[in-house]
Amino acid sequence: MTGNRNIVIEALLRLHVLACLIFIFAPILGSFVFSLNSDRFPSLPLGHFSLEWYRLIWEDPFVWSGFFNTVIVGLCVAVIATLLGFGGAYTDYRYKFVGKNVYLALALLPPTIPVVIMGLAMLAFLSRINLSGSTISVIIAHGVMCSPFAMAIIRLRLSQMDPDLEAASWNLGGNEWATLRHVIVPFARPAIFAALFITMAVSFDEFAVAWFVSGLNETLPVKILGFLQGQVSPGSTPSARLPSSARSR
Amino acid sequence: MTMTPTTSDAIVKLDGVVKKFGDFVAVERADFEIGRGEFLAIMGSSGCGKTTTLRMLAGLEDPTEGDIWLDGERVNGKATWDRDTPMVWQSLALFPFLTVRENVEFSLKMRSVGKAERAERVHKWLDRMQIVEFADRNISQLSGGQRQRVALARALVTEPEILLLDEPLSALDAHLKVRMQAVLSNLQKDLGITFVYVTHSMSEAFSMADRVVIMSRGKIEQIGTPQEIYHAPRNRFVAEFLGSANIFTGRIVERAGENWMVETDYGRFAVPASKAAEKTVGDSVSFIVSAENMQLGPESADIPGISARVVGEEFVGATAMVFLETESGEELKVQKGHAELAAIDHRAGASLVVHWDSEACHVLPAE
Amino acid sequence: MLSLPLLIWQLAFFLFPLLFLVALSFWTVRNFQMQPDLDFGNWERILTRRAFWDAYLLTALLATASAVLTSLIAFPAAYAISFKVSDRVKQWLIFVLIIPFFTSYLVRVYSLQVFLSDAGIINAFLGFFGLGPILMLNTLFGTLVGLVTLCLPLVVLLQTFSLNFVDRDLVEAAHNLRCGRLRTVLMVIVPSARVGLVIAALFAFILSFGDFVSPLYLGGGNPPTLSIMITDITKSGQQWPRAAVVALMMITTLLTVAFLAIQFAYKERGK
Repeated sequence: MTGNRNIVIEALLRLHVLACLIFIFAPILGSFVFSLNSDRFPSLPLGHFSLEWYRLIWEDPFVWSGFFNTVIVGLCVAVIATLLGFGGAYTDYRYKFVGKNVYLALALLPPTIPVVIMGLAMLAFLSRINLSGSTISVIIAHGVMCSPFAMAIIRLRLSQMDPDLEAASWNLGGNEWATLRHVIVPFARPAIFAALFITMAVSFDEFAVAWFVSGLNETLPVKILGFLQGQVSPGSTPSARLPSSARSR
Repeated sequence: MTMTPTTSDAIVKLDGVVKKFGDFVAVERADFEIGRGEFLAIMGSSGCGKTTTLRMLAGLEDPTEGDIWLDGERVNGKATWDRDTPMVWQSLALFPFLTVRENVEFSLKMRSVGKAERAERVHKWLDRMQIVEFADRNISQLSGGQRQRVALARALVTEPEILLLDEPLSALDAHLKVRMQAVLSNLQKDLGITFVYVTHSMSEAFSMADRVVIMSRGKIEQIGTPQEIYHAPRNRFVAEFLGSANIFTGRIVERAGENWMVETDYGRFAVPASKAAEKTVGDSVSFIVSAENMQLGPESADIPGISARVVGEEFVGATAMVFLETESGEELKVQKGHAELAAIDHRAGASLVVHWDSEACHVLPAE
Repeated sequence: MLSLPLLIWQLAFFLFPLLFLVALSFWTVRNFQMQPDLDFGNWERILTRRAFWDAYLLTALLATASAVLTSLIAFPAAYAISFKVSDRVKQWLIFVLIIPFFTSYLVRVYSLQVFLSDAGIINAFLGFFGLGPILMLNTLFGTLVGLVTLCLPLVVLLQTFSLNFVDRDLVEAAHNLRCGRLRTVLMVIVPSARVGLVIAALFAFILSFGDFVSPLYLGGGNPPTLSIMITDITKSGQQWPRAAVVALMMITTLLTVAFLAIQFAYKERGK
């Protein structure tokens, strides 16, 4: 403790962090509580404790098919996005070339384009080339949106690598591919696993959005998201529990 | 412990200062004063507590125990920004988002000095540091030496009574280092203010400072002028730190005229009794002989000395340091002019006798 | 070459669809069928419509408000996490802040409805003190709450990372040069972390500008934002070309804002 520190200010700052966490986590915890509540539309006071909604979902074949669809898409997307991302990250780490900025922009920009617009563009484009509606089209769309995340994660890891490591491997007789396999990939392995995990999570989340929204009515966001997230048509999924205020649209 | 001769004129006083970080004792106990207009160097290897001591003066750390007095005021717990103790960082800590001029202007702005006066004082210091032409440059475009000058101008623009420097030259190459030493030395003399200079380099400390504080593992080992420390190190640590002394330890076995006879592992040597007046027969005693006071002779000569084998040689300017190894594996150092060495066969492996004049002994008082 | 797969993928499935959107905006719709054309009618229709510019202004204002508000709320938290807590607590907090990314935004918004509605948790709490009920759901306030919920974890994280890179020596140097606590934050820490702070705000703007979940479910969808407008236009009789115009206006706006923000972030002082 020096005279530079002020206990009151530091206590207030900690309280602020706590307040932010409460603000962020209240809705997340709230959704847990409501899912265990017997009422159809959550409001105060809460009804009694119930696992009814979980039972309904458990017994719903649509939910299960949707779930399997999600997992398959998620796994494919994770592998594809991570492979693409690794290539992009290594390119950025290793090479300098004219137009590299354009390359990087192309590789990293997709998450900055709103989902609605991406959906609109892809649905329009893929339906022109007769690729829409299939699981493959969902994987394609998710691959575009997820590969920048994979690339960023792997690129961060590569930037921690001693640049001489690669040169040392060449010096010891490893050609470019051998070096890649025995030096770069092992070094980046933790990041590669992180990328697989995170891209799968991103893909899952996008899926969930459609799953909920498409339960409301067949609006475009549903179509778009439904397309992006695979054509799941849930019956009495939790989406049916959205309060009436949300149905006004 | 040596004190400044004129105690009343001290600008800084450390009174039983202890600093702990958890269980780690950074400064074990610091008791010393720094005189007005003095150039004091605090020297030691990394982790010895020298930087912590400096940071306590700047108010960046508070002592765990003891008091710090700045200009007659006890400053424990006083915020950094309420003190007038500008510092030059090892990293220089120049603000990269400000120009040279804005960096130098910073502390004047903090004191709400008017715009016209600010401009004038900034110009004066840019001029003095010979960096006027870079005034509107970005920090990233300056060379190491130029940045050094900006850091000095920024710290001195308020014309403080004391300047703290934390290894400011360590990032410079050898040539520039020597030039900046001269700049700092002259600056301190011209301004007549107190410099507290932390360094791990003996050459920096000894060439610039009026007095040197040597620290090791949080403890102050010795305080004194460079001459005092060099010729009369207090203990084994300081002697070893200086690097050019041969240290012998033994037991006084008898009095022989003006000398104590000291029995060591290498044999029996005479040490002037006046240099260890408080000792008596049976006491253990350590003494040093600095490398340039050592003599080398061929083995056949019947001078009392230590037989040793040459293991290597290092050039030190106009002289060379010859390293020898005794039969028991201890290292001895002898520093001689090249001409003198040319007369002796001192190739690696050659056996020679090392000897010295007993008047060249210095007894370590604290051992 | 490892570079090519990503390049081809993004060209084929990212750039071409967006370019196709440009082409689409010049197409015409006859009898609910889209036909390739070079017709400026769609652009004219949208850009001269008052409702479009109202929605544009609303969306831009909401996104700006969300970016500013989120940045202001996040900064003290990021500052505390970066400067004032131990390394262990710091790591723990960063981990906790990543959790929301693995939860569904839609579920969170749905849950927020229960907090904000007239008979919801907050009004029940206020009622306990004899206050309210305050109308929060289906208002701009409700939308903003949702947008801040969406952006806050990301902005706190980005700000924290950029504050972690602020040279601690600079902070001490400022104190040493008589700069007090708050002034150091404003004059040294904020300028040092400028790039990261601007990028964080930019992300908040981008997310908020394109989001349609909050305006729809917390703001009631009326007046519409641009995202809602896109869905509305498409719903009404295959008017995809017009939706494409709105989408392109949004993309242009986002790119312009991003360009300006990055210019500002990397602006250098001095010669």
